[in-house]
Amino acid sequence: MNTDEGSRREFLAAALAAGATLAGCSSHGHTHEEGESDMIKPSGEMVKLLSVDGEVIEVDKAFLKPVPDLPQVNNSEERMGISGKKFVMVIDLSRCKNAKKCQESCNHAHELQPGQNWVKIYPMQDGEDTAPYWEPTTCMHCDDPPCVKVCPVDATFKRQDGIVLIDSDRCIGCRFCMAACPYSTRVFNWEEPILPKEVKEKPYSCETSIPQKKGTVSKCDFCADMTRKGELPHCVSACPNGVFFFGDMIEDSVTNGAETFRFSDMIRDKAGYRLMEELGTKPSVYYLPPVNRNFPFQKDESNPSNDHSTKS
Amino acid sequence: MKKPSHITWLTIMMSGMFTLGLLAQEAKSDLNLGLGYVNDNDRLQYLKASAKTKINGKFQPVAGINLSFYLGTESPSNLLGKARTNSRGEAVAFIPAAAGEEWKKSEKHEFLAVSEPSDSFGTTKSSIEITRAKIKLDTAEGRKLVAALLELREGKWIPVKGVDLTFSVKRMGRNLGVGDSPTYTTDSTGTANADFKLAELPGDSSGNITLVARVEDNDTYGTVSSEKKVPWGSDTQYYDSDFDKRSLYARRGLTPLWLGFMAYSIGLAVWGVLIYLFFQIRKIKKLGTV
Amino acid sequence: MDNLARQKIIQDLLPQKFGTRGIIWVVILLVFCIAGIVAYIHQLSKGLVITAMGDYVSWGIYISNFVFFVAISLVGSLITAILRLADVSWSTPLTRIAEIIAVSAITLAAIIIVVDMGRPERFYNLFIHGRLQSPIIWDVVVIITYFFVSLLLLYLPLLPDFTILLKPESRRAGSRPHFFYRFFGSFWKNTPEQIKISNRAIAILSVTIIPVAFAIHTVTSWLFATTYRPGWDSTNFGAYFISGAFLVGAGAVLVAMYAFRDAYKLENYITEDHFDKMGKVVIGLALLYLYFNINEYLVPAYKMEKAEEDHLMGLFIGRFARVFWFAIFSAMIVPIAILIFKKGRKPLPAFIAGCLVVVGSWFKRYIIVTPTMLHPFLPMYQSPEKFYHYFPSLEEWLIAGGSLAGMLLIITIFARILPIIPIQETINESEEHEKA
Repeated sequence: MNTDEGSRREFLAAALAAGATLAGCSSHGHTHEEGESDMIKPSGEMVKLLSVDGEVIEVDKAFLKPVPDLPQVNNSEERMGISGKKFVMVIDLSRCKNAKKCQESCNHAHELQPGQNWVKIYPMQDGEDTAPYWEPTTCMHCDDPPCVKVCPVDATFKRQDGIVLIDSDRCIGCRFCMAACPYSTRVFNWEEPILPKEVKEKPYSCETSIPQKKGTVSKCDFCADMTRKGELPHCVSACPNGVFFFGDMIEDSVTNGAETFRFSDMIRDKAGYRLMEELGTKPSVYYLPPVNRNFPFQKDESNPSNDHSTKS
Repeated sequence: MKKPSHITWLTIMMSGMFTLGLLAQEAKSDLNLGLGYVNDNDRLQYLKASAKTKINGKFQPVAGINLSFYLGTESPSNLLGKARTNSRGEAVAFIPAAAGEEWKKSEKHEFLAVSEPSDSFGTTKSSIEITRAKIKLDTAEGRKLVAALLELREGKWIPVKGVDLTFSVKRMGRNLGVGDSPTYTTDSTGTANADFKLAELPGDSSGNITLVARVEDNDTYGTVSSEKKVPWGSDTQYYDSDFDKRSLYARRGLTPLWLGFMAYSIGLAVWGVLIYLFFQIRKIKKLGTV
Repeated sequence: MDNLARQKIIQDLLPQKFGTRGIIWVVILLVFCIAGIVAYIHQLSKGLVITAMGDYVSWGIYISNFVFFVAISLVGSLITAILRLADVSWSTPLTRIAEIIAVSAITLAAIIIVVDMGRPERFYNLFIHGRLQSPIIWDVVVIITYFFVSLLLLYLPLLPDFTILLKPESRRAGSRPHFFYRFFGSFWKNTPEQIKISNRAIAILSVTIIPVAFAIHTVTSWLFATTYRPGWDSTNFGAYFISGAFLVGAGAVLVAMYAFRDAYKLENYITEDHFDKMGKVVIGLALLYLYFNINEYLVPAYKMEKAEEDHLMGLFIGRFARVFWFAIFSAMIVPIAILIFKKGRKPLPAFIAGCLVVVGSWFKRYIIVTPTMLHPFLPMYQSPEKFYHYFPSLEEWLIAGGSLAGMLLIITIFARILPIIPIQETINESEEHEKA
């Protein structure tokens, strides 16, 4: 799939998302409907707009942005998360060809340091004679998270929408969470992160995870700032092959920006599973097995020293 | 030395200007400006512009471009609004009530987006012609959806044949299709029909879902959508997360009772002994300093 | 007991000034400590990047040092409490050495764990935001508790000795901190009532310290056992760590016994018989630890689960084999071989055995912490080259070495100001001996 189509699809996806967000507005005031971001608070300031019939309608100014400016959430709201939602991700292994666009966009959006990856793509081969495949992993946002259990200061926490976040203002850098996580998903800021000045001066938010701080842990945050607005995480939008599906399990719907499926149908029909299920961590990330793969598996020959997958 | 002739001077000047022109051009790249019209649920109308440029053969979004949107020709009286492209290269302008007069005059309208010249780009224009249209979405017996795209022709709303539209349910991120087919085309009567195939789809607490019929990025009509709320979903019990329950992974203060009991009883027992011993030492001290 | 005999005991056991050897010893320790502090300041400014740790080996020798310190600190409960409760009289001269080692070790354990933190200035978060569900919080509570218990168990038997130290005949001009003795012990008048309260308090402490000591090392072992990783995911860890702790503590006592005996000419008090008995204790503990090691390594090796396979092969024949076998031989097998013979339990061979136990145990803690981290469940891939191996950097060695030197320095300072062998108890023992 060439990038022109990819960016067009991205544009369409964004337009659809914008339309979806706006479409819930009505001039009769705010009614709660599923699929809508109920985070937008009416500003009280009304604007006169034109309807297709040529009539004048009044809409609250707050609803007019395609992606609304949400009021700044404070730390305790960030720790609570969004009620009534349970975010879930489905990764279709039959579509992944290690394009690493997910990694690039995630690293860029969260201003990660070189060498740090929140999305990791592994060359996997379960047994000697089984098929090799590429496996992208993010944080699993487990429902029984070992990292949250062991954190001594509540710096990593589980929200009511299922997202596990890190508060870099609280973290003491003991790295117990890194030892506890079986998915190797966490990275540590061993030195002062090199950030552009305007990023460094931003007030810290757990949901954006920006700016990163020396001596603290970080990991995939399911783009909590995006999902709060009803948008998809960066990796989902960036993947040119539609590998990542994201959605709300309560709504039973996941999308990769171009296709939407019922989560329950997808998992049932394609035999979805979770990584290391036997550990009992109850991850929120499901995988669809690499059946009928779109691309043949090709080892990344560009950097052989990269590969320490054969252990000593 | 022979005095240079007029032709020589002209040649020198022309080459000089040509070079300058080339240099000036190299300084400015091409801005690819896209323009679309969106009619949201028969109420809100807006224009959506996207600014892109080709870098190393790939299109990248351009942020920070100031755009002016016009209804018709580029004149101050036709200005609908101004907007600036965001980090994704997109900008939106709503059609204000003030444009009502002009709007009601005709069925077809031309929209124009003009970008302000910047350091990297020159002025770029993009225009589209839109016929006013809206979608009428209804439901029929047996959980069927019926939609018609109506265009304004001679003051009447007439259904249009052969238009592709989608039927979906409002979901987060991107809506979920209701049937087997991704798109449905309006037939000779100008209506499209779809069966609602989603059994037991979670709705809100009362079991309501919102149906959406949408024409996507049509050359004549732009993007037009219409919504309808129906009680065709299953009601979701309010999702009771573990957030306020005691567990090993809960926040401070929500320790499981068995753990709290064990820890505090051991702690109190040992420290009770220690405090007792501190007092014993004080007693020894008192006995010694009589 | 006649006065002369008593006076002799007192004079023999008074804390002595540093000789040349003592001064050289202190200077060397100070150099290491200062080097450690300088390296730590560098770590504070640059971050933990100056160590060899990476996203895979996120716990290195700071943590294995921490485990080592906690292990050694259990010696207090073993010698002072358990042997005392068992009424083992030959342990009396060793109780103060043991308690001093315990207090010094637990202090350094607390210090080295702060050194390992990425954000040490947020230490107070542990108290104002602490989660009781976290094993680290359990560790913090138990360490603080154990520190106070050990301090008390050092202090109470010291009271009679302070009185002796304050006596005019014990004074040697300007060589001891009399203000210190006065503040802490001048109220001890040796009255029967005071003795009764003190003895009872010591008995209560001896009983209390045992579960606290068990708790401290069990909880420390749970920092590893509460994770899923191969090599750590074991139900054995509590008992395994405690037996290892007793072993290294006993080995440390053998080393300290010899060192102090030699430095302070205490041959009459720490006799060859003490080495003989302590040596036997070390054999017993080494065999016990060896038993736990066999359980810990042979049983998973029999099964060879996928996750365990690379880890175990790495230890037995792979890149960790040299350190692994060195640790096993040095901490258990060779000391047993030495001490099992009567000649091996003479002071010097016993001292060597003790040194081997301590050094081997330090490497054993490294074997417990690092190899597991280099065998995560998902492959190590697409990371900076540095992350795929672990050998401590120079600064890491300096800081870890500085912490060990710090522990030895605290022990040395204690030995300088306190009588290394309880004076009053020795007098009591001799008097009982005479009566018998």
